[in-house]
Amino acid sequence: MADLRVERLVHVYRESGVRALDGIDLEIRAGERVALVGQNGSGKTTLVRHLNGLLRPTEGRVLVDGHDAGSMTVAQLAARIGLVFQDPDRQIFAGSVRAEVEFGPRNLGRSGAELSAAVADALAATGLEGETATNPYDLGGSRRKLLALASVLAMRTPVLVLDEPTTGQDARGVERVRAVIEAAAAAGRTVVAISHDMRFVAEAFERVVVMRGGRVVLDGSPSDVFAEASWDALRSTYLEPPLASRIGGRLGLGSTPTDAALIARLREGAEGPAS
Amino acid sequence: MAGGAGLTSAPPLDRGIPDFLERPGPSPVHRLNPLTKATLATVTAVAAVALGGLVGPVVLVLVAVILPAAAAGVLGRLIRTSLLLALPIAVSAFLVNLFFFPDGRTVLVEVGPITATAEGFGFALEILARILAISGAVTLFYLTTRPAALVIDLERRGVSPRVGFVANASVQTVPAMVERAAQITAAQRARGLDTEGSVWRRIRGIVPIVGPVILGSIAEVEERTMALEARGFTRPGRRTLLWTPSDTTFERILRWGLVAALVGLIAVRVTGVLR
Repeated sequence: MADLRVERLVHVYRESGVRALDGIDLEIRAGERVALVGQNGSGKTTLVRHLNGLLRPTEGRVLVDGHDAGSMTVAQLAARIGLVFQDPDRQIFAGSVRAEVEFGPRNLGRSGAELSAAVADALAATGLEGETATNPYDLGGSRRKLLALASVLAMRTPVLVLDEPTTGQDARGVERVRAVIEAAAAAGRTVVAISHDMRFVAEAFERVVVMRGGRVVLDGSPSDVFAEASWDALRSTYLEPPLASRIGGRLGLGSTPTDAALIARLREGAEGPAS
Repeated sequence: MAGGAGLTSAPPLDRGIPDFLERPGPSPVHRLNPLTKATLATVTAVAAVALGGLVGPVVLVLVAVILPAAAAGVLGRLIRTSLLLALPIAVSAFLVNLFFFPDGRTVLVEVGPITATAEGFGFALEILARILAISGAVTLFYLTTRPAALVIDLERRGVSPRVGFVANASVQTVPAMVERAAQITAAQRARGLDTEGSVWRRIRGIVPIVGPVILGSIAEVEERTMALEARGFTRPGRRTLLWTPSDTTFERILRWGLVAALVGLIAVRVTGVLR
């Protein structure tokens, strides 16, 4: 379990002078499932790269379990924060699925039965258990993305950070990613994910942080963030609330961020108030 | 908590010319037709070899490289880049000729079994002057010409778009691969690859970083080829060029004059008129 705390975090890219983060304050408690959303360039990826030390703050600091991430190397932070990149082809190098998944835990010093179990669990969670000997480049794009996820899952880090995990996934792939997130949260792991898929965000996360211009503009439960009162703020970041929210809002049913919430409200309305 | 900032709009274009079109260069040298600059670079490089001796190449460097570079405001970058480009071959050529010149008689220094001679030193300086003339001419062309401008100009003159594309893509691939390598390094570090430790650890990190760079580049070539085909790249016939570099009568005369001068120089050298 790991608490994450971001304090007045500012990041300015030296080459371009772009101020990607402009004084972010954020606290993520151990075991939380948090979605980071916002338009392209709002600072989401920059923020998560600070969590595992790939970027260092221009100002402010990041605390992992109370320890300043600035005093730790990326290799040390990798044992606590597992970051899955958006593009799997920018990390896959091994000749087999198994070797690719083993890479991370081996870097952390795992071996023997512990390594085998971690790899087997990660492959099973992502549905790749039958592909251990397959060359990763023989897998389709969506399965390579699941492989990248498996390779970080196998590291069994207390925090799992996912950058656009559902991009390029069909409904079955999205469901699998959602199951991985739920299983990780059930095991007490913290999950932070960047996503543009608002339906997925509403259904898989308990907290949504909306960013714009390097700042947090909304932070709350999916029910709060996707409620009609927040639509203007959401649209200012070029995000549309999930369809269920929009239908619920138009019908005056209150906040219905998920399909299940919308159906429940519709049923309540059809059955009328309990006498 | 909704943020107070309103809807942000895209910044206005700062110029009337779209990004994909060439803007006028900052100096008269930049504004020369790309073919004129290519001709100047080629003639300078070949003439330095054809002239031989020390004075000829040195004068060439001053007139055809240093002066135009100063006029273009790129003298500092030219010196740094061309020295970097020429250094490995210049140092080895200098040492080989200094110590192993076959007709060396006048001994300058003896280091064990090898001897530096005055004749070898003179010849080494001549070789050095030629190498610097070649690297300087090539660097000046590179620093003052956009590859895309050269490609478009060649295409206008009837060169196959395929040739132009290969030339342009080769140059553009370098920064793209550097960017890709940086992304891959970040992804592998996030999986615990220690690139900050001992030399042995860094060597171990080469395969996970170089592998995806090469594999990704190969895959990208295939995709790019198909994307080009899909957009009619191999269709025979002339293409519509939205912009072409300017070319003047003066430049045409200059180009032919340079080529004629080079042919004359080679003829003189071959026939032995100039010794």
